[in-house]
Amino acid sequence: MANPFEEIEDQDGIRMSWNVWPTNRVESTRMVVPIGALYTPLKDRSALGLNQPLGYEPVVCKGSCRAILNPYCQIDPRGRVWNCPFCLQRNQLPPQYNDITPQSLPPELLQQFTTVEYILNKPPAMPPVFLYVVDTCLDEDDLKALKDSLVVSLSLLPPNAFVGLITFGTMTQVHELGYNECPKSYVFRGSKEYTSKQIQEMLGLIGAGAQAAPKIVPGGPMRPGMGGSAAQRYLMPISQCEFTITTILENLQRDPWIVANDKRPLRCTGTALSVAASLLETSFQNTGAHIFLFAGGACTEGPGLVVGPELREPIRGHSDIEKETAKHVRKASKFYEALAARISEKGHVVDIFAGCLDQVGLMEMKKLANTTNGFMVLSDSFNTVVFKQSFIRLFEKDQDGFLTMGFNATLEVQTTKELRVSGLIGPAISANKKSACVGETEIGIGGTNAWKLCGITPKTTVSIHFEVAPNQPQVAPGQNSRGLIQFVTMYQHASGQFRLRVTTVARSFADGTSPEINASFDQEAAAVLMARIGVFKAENDNIADVLRWLDRMLIRLCQKFADYRKDDPSSFQLAENFSIYPQFMFHLRRSQFLQVFNNSPDETAYYRHILNGEDVNNSLIMIQPTLMAYTLNGPPEPVLLDSISIKPDAILLLDTFFHVLIWHGETIAGWRKAKYHEMPEYVNIKELLETPKADAQELLLDRFPIPRYIDTDQGGSQARFLLSKVNPSSTHQSQYGGGAAIPTDDVSLQVFMEHLKKLSVTGSS
Amino acid sequence: VPQFGSIPRPPQFGSTQQPVPFGAQPPGFGPPAQQQQFGFNGPQPGFPQQQQPQLGIGQQQYGANQLQNGLQNMNLGSGNAAPQSQQAQAAVNLLQRVPQVSELETLTPPPNMSSQLSVSQSPHAICPPVYKRCTLNSIPQTQALLNKTKIPFGLIVTPYRSLLPGEEAVPIINPPQIVRCRRCRTYINPWVQFVEQGTRWKCNMCFLTNEVPAFFDWDSESRQQVDRMKRFELTHSVVEYIAPQEYMVRPPQPVVLLFLIDVSFAAVQSGMVDTVSKGILKYLDDVPNTDGRTKVAFITVDSTLQFWNLSSSLSEPQMLVISDIEDAFLPLPEDLLVTLTESRSVVEKLLANLSNLSKATQNNQNCLGRALQIGLKLIGSIGGKIVIFQGSLANLSEGALKLREDPKILGTPKEVALLQPASPFYKAFAVDCSRAQITIDLFAFNSQYLDLATLSGLTKVTGGSLYYYPLFNPANPQSIQKFETELQNFLSRPLALEAVLRVRASKGIRMTRFHGNFFLRSTDLLALPTVNPDNSYGIEMEIQDNLQTTTACFQTALLHTTSNGERRIRVLTLTVPVTDGLGDIYNKADQYAIAALLAKKGVEKCLLSHVEAARDELVSQLCDIIGSYKATFTSSGQNAMLILPENLKLLPLMIMSILKHIAFRTSGITPSDVRTNAQSLMCVYPCEAFMPNILPRFWALHSMDAIAGTLDDQTSQPIFPPRLNLSSEKLERHGLYLLDNGVDLFLWVGRSISPELCSLVFGVPTYENIIPGKLALPRVDNDWNKRVWNLIEYIERVRVLTMTIFPGFYVVKEDGDAGLRMAFLVNLVEDKLDSGNSYPLFLAYVREKLNKPSGGLF
Ligand SMILES: [Zn+2]
Ligand SMILES: [Zn+2]
Repeated sequence: MANPFEEIEDQDGIRMSWNVWPTNRVESTRMVVPIGALYTPLKDRSALGLNQPLGYEPVVCKGSCRAILNPYCQIDPRGRVWNCPFCLQRNQLPPQYNDITPQSLPPELLQQFTTVEYILNKPPAMPPVFLYVVDTCLDEDDLKALKDSLVVSLSLLPPNAFVGLITFGTMTQVHELGYNECPKSYVFRGSKEYTSKQIQEMLGLIGAGAQAAPKIVPGGPMRPGMGGSAAQRYLMPISQCEFTITTILENLQRDPWIVANDKRPLRCTGTALSVAASLLETSFQNTGAHIFLFAGGACTEGPGLVVGPELREPIRGHSDIEKETAKHVRKASKFYEALAARISEKGHVVDIFAGCLDQVGLMEMKKLANTTNGFMVLSDSFNTVVFKQSFIRLFEKDQDGFLTMGFNATLEVQTTKELRVSGLIGPAISANKKSACVGETEIGIGGTNAWKLCGITPKTTVSIHFEVAPNQPQVAPGQNSRGLIQFVTMYQHASGQFRLRVTTVARSFADGTSPEINASFDQEAAAVLMARIGVFKAENDNIADVLRWLDRMLIRLCQKFADYRKDDPSSFQLAENFSIYPQFMFHLRRSQFLQVFNNSPDETAYYRHILNGEDVNNSLIMIQPTLMAYTLNGPPEPVLLDSISIKPDAILLLDTFFHVLIWHGETIAGWRKAKYHEMPEYVNIKELLETPKADAQELLLDRFPIPRYIDTDQGGSQARFLLSKVNPSSTHQSQYGGGAAIPTDDVSLQVFMEHLKKLSVTGSS
Repeated sequence: VPQFGSIPRPPQFGSTQQPVPFGAQPPGFGPPAQQQQFGFNGPQPGFPQQQQPQLGIGQQQYGANQLQNGLQNMNLGSGNAAPQSQQAQAAVNLLQRVPQVSELETLTPPPNMSSQLSVSQSPHAICPPVYKRCTLNSIPQTQALLNKTKIPFGLIVTPYRSLLPGEEAVPIINPPQIVRCRRCRTYINPWVQFVEQGTRWKCNMCFLTNEVPAFFDWDSESRQQVDRMKRFELTHSVVEYIAPQEYMVRPPQPVVLLFLIDVSFAAVQSGMVDTVSKGILKYLDDVPNTDGRTKVAFITVDSTLQFWNLSSSLSEPQMLVISDIEDAFLPLPEDLLVTLTESRSVVEKLLANLSNLSKATQNNQNCLGRALQIGLKLIGSIGGKIVIFQGSLANLSEGALKLREDPKILGTPKEVALLQPASPFYKAFAVDCSRAQITIDLFAFNSQYLDLATLSGLTKVTGGSLYYYPLFNPANPQSIQKFETELQNFLSRPLALEAVLRVRASKGIRMTRFHGNFFLRSTDLLALPTVNPDNSYGIEMEIQDNLQTTTACFQTALLHTTSNGERRIRVLTLTVPVTDGLGDIYNKADQYAIAALLAKKGVEKCLLSHVEAARDELVSQLCDIIGSYKATFTSSGQNAMLILPENLKLLPLMIMSILKHIAFRTSGITPSDVRTNAQSLMCVYPCEAFMPNILPRFWALHSMDAIAGTLDDQTSQPIFPPRLNLSSEKLERHGLYLLDNGVDLFLWVGRSISPELCSLVFGVPTYENIIPGKLALPRVDNDWNKRVWNLIEYIERVRVLTMTIFPGFYVVKEDGDAGLRMAFLVNLVEDKLDSGNSYPLFLAYVREKLNKPSGGLF
């Protein structure tokens, strides 16, 4: 794995499609794949020993750019000035930098500190809030399992974290945790759309009925933003209400309203979420807050209704949406989008945990998580490993015992004058900051050079696109001509500290035709960036158009960067660093991100949401799953994601990111059935069976959400997960090579490549 | 709005000075002939001469000249007896006689029907007047005759009254078949006739002959001949049938009690919430629940509705708050209304903790109207009782009430607006409740205005009761004892559910108006979702067709379900002779029933017109009766006389007392809640509770003989000393007096009371050591104290049993607190009071009115 880009990624959390940039705008557009970065702002760098934040304030350019002093700045130690590379402002160094010499520089000026983190000198943030919004229309087992998980999660919260509890079914109940005399809850009609003001009045948060909670922190001064704070009757530090909330959870009953045989239970998910949002927004604005939604089914009551309560009405599928016969979709989506806008504006996160064999309306609700960088976990029930372990994994702690999640982040990007920012694709919303470096072209969330991420984790990865600035004076290509991008992420650390992560990257400029540019292409990053753009388009456009666009882009890329003789497909050659890009595109076209009809709308929303926030490696697994083969003939080896890899004497381990599947070839399945592996003389078979399992466990270690684990045999019904992913080299119609025949009409990679070559060498555009 | 301090005060009468007997000796008023002093004997001990009589604001004043003229015109004691028609020999000259209050003790009308005329000749064939009485015990044959007498014709019925100690229970019968007239559905009764050799019975209402069922004479089980004349149907005028299936519309409902408790700031602060929750907890075992089906629910109310999940599976109750009161709903499909037996421990936890739950509240709103609506939703399919405990003005949402009391209009004709409902919601809602078989009872605690005038519509229409604690002070054990005793009686007394009261009368007699708490479902059918034992019903009647028979009969049937699910019919049959003689009519009239009925009519008049109109009408009605009697039995020229037959001689005193009652008195300072409460009591009073309330019972204890206060061997009831007339002239300096006005008891201590009596009664050496105020009489271990206690306890017991009123007890010292003294003295209604004339002056007024008829008095 001598991928040079990965080293940079470890250092700065950044991968770029192009690592040398053309100086000319026209040239840049000819490069087809835009200049883009996949950036992981809170990249865990503890392996490099670089996780220790700096305990002082950053030095900020006094110009309008507000850029941070970095190793690429010119320093004049004698005059104690530094030049801002972004706005060219000359800045005085602060007095504590009086003694610096080229031999003794502060860390932020050292080359290995292109990424640094500062602890800002601000009073600590409020402890984070976790508001549990719990569906009670569950069957007994599921409710029990959910309750158990919730109770366990309470013990994983920081003791000062605020918790709240809302339960819902036919109605929504807000539990007053600060009330010690008996369990007390406020009940809202599930069928009604309340305004935020009404909810706040009804909860006594505002208006005449507002009652202040008893002082929560003895002697602890309440700061503005915490309110008076009536909301603290409902949201309390876990250390003070653990018994109360545990008791309520343990006694939680199923929704008591009787459900007729031909009906779905009434489930007012929309009202519950709207109440949750209103509860937080008065007193906990810009406080790190997670709304945990646990949904055991679709909303059937009130605002945000996804499907009617009549069982004879099926929940909408992709074809209904396509044909515009899904009668609730538009209204429900509008409701949740508005809610998402409200919640993200206040800096709160919505995490959706679905525990249902059917859909829960994730498609309609997706914006809640999309715009707030919430977690989405889709599982068949709350009694599954997928849910239980994923949920617990949320509360991972760093070595200091703090949650790894951060809150209320703002990511601001600054470029030197040759570059412009086109936009961001990722789980964020625009912070509406239109600096000089904002470009004309919009890709993703554009028109700004700053975005807000209500939640952020060390894995959160956004893609940011750039364009070469128009009309810039010709920069002479050479050693010293480089452009800079600075990523400044301010966030609330789980410790309450406000921190600033600064990553400054420099890339050289080269003439548009220079081979340096070709050589700087990171096909993996490029594939993921293009995947994100494609999915972003697919959210709004017709999927067929998106596929056509992707094809066109691929052909154009090949036309520009492949070696070929015109009209001679056999002469077609791609450099190594472009070579597997077409294959990524082939799998992307076939992936669940763009082929929706084998998936439910909820699944599509879920897959896209996950893709939208993962780094290059994980994204690539999603786009082109990995396949390992285990045989008695040799050590395990990665094999082609191809039907030719399907062999009766092999065990295959498929990792699609969402699923981890162990597939046993016919022969091996037979052995297993005959229990050879239990016989002492066949210890090798035992080993053969166990190695992929151990490897699979390895894969699960670091994943979020926990993938669904499948153990199947050749011919088993679950084997379809494998068959749908492999390149159909052999289909029931055509036979290219060995391996299994795949029942599909899809073209194979081979056919795809033939076409690509043909189109690339003949086309002119 | 008058402020109520911690010390109870009577309404203030525009003056802090005490009333004095009228100073001036009226000319022409002869010296008293009897031992009892009548009139005005100058200054009395303890009543300083120098004080002038004070007339209340807005009170009608009679100038001295006017008064003198009036009195001069009286021709008293001149021996000019009226020319006698045959029945007039019993006539009493009112102006010559001091009313004999001791006669009020019996309260019984002149007997006029011999039980020998009943089929069984059983003494029980006579209907006890405590159950049912008619204003006339001789009924005129024609309406014309009735009109001539000017006496109101009506019934006072108390069908489900609680039994007093020593009283016989109503016989229960469970016949194979309930025998009723085929045509008019009258129940067979002691006053039917057997005809055709006893094979048929003739209905005493419609005169149809019906077959006598075989079981009347033959017991098929024991295969023996039986004596039909031993059947309760034929021996007793008050019986209760166990009804067969066909009398049930639906399976018998369980007892359901929904408690709506105000937990707003004022209610919590007043101590109401604490007292109420502890009280209910204390008496849970008293709630009728022999079959274990009794259900309870609680909704606590402020600006929100707080429901309680009382599921037996819970270890503690769960509070479910609904703030969305404009769109209120039930937050749970079940577990809000729970079986008391099953959920007992959760219910107990709620009640034990309720005052803690709301102690920190700042909420000063109350949405009672919504609570009622949602309560109806909760129990509407079953029926039962909604019991409201209200301590603040229901000022929010549906039926929101305003603080509308305006002291400036009290005592003016505009006052009536305050006595009329401010919102039509409550009455309309109550009609819905009645249809759903729900009775509403209201326990009102106020430290502020509650608008009982509006809220009382709830209890009125649904047959419920209003219990009023205007000066509730939880720090005073007396306050707690009063509430708890009343609550216990309220919760423990038998509940008759899903009841209807049907009134039948002999052919020719028609019911015209009904008074009391009920919903009139049809012309003769009163719907009473549950029957309130305290409540009586006043029924006005007219004679539509001339009565052809010698007796008239009134039968009341109360169909109800007992708390353990038995359908029953209580039948009361009253038979009264019919006459064509005017004298008979007068001589057999029941002055107590007349006064009670007039008071009920008066309340109606108050609300329809205004207080002054009702007062005028009461006086006119009295004048009419006197006038018509006089016109009938005296010749002209003797108009100075005020005469009435012996049996009506106390009527003027009663009318005067009614006028001085809080319900009717002219007063600029009686809070409207206080007035409404008094009026609503008037509407439901049986005679026995009505009389002491208008004419308090007054005894001298210091001079009582040794037997007074001891228990009668036979009845185990204490022997009372003779009643005193209600005049301050009875007060001796060394005296000790007990006064019972039906709602309060006063012990008046003269300042020169002997030290001996002090120590016997109060256990203290001297007068100075006696602590006045609202506190219980100390228990001192001696016969004297015991005898006084016997009297007090007996009165308390009777009041609780008959009206669910535990009287407040006040020790009043002659020179003590003015407010306290006033509270006592205002009961001495024969005196001139701020609330009205002395009895002689009242008579003079009546006489004047009679002489100067205005607007066709005759
Ligand atoms: Zn700058
Ligand atoms: Zn008849």
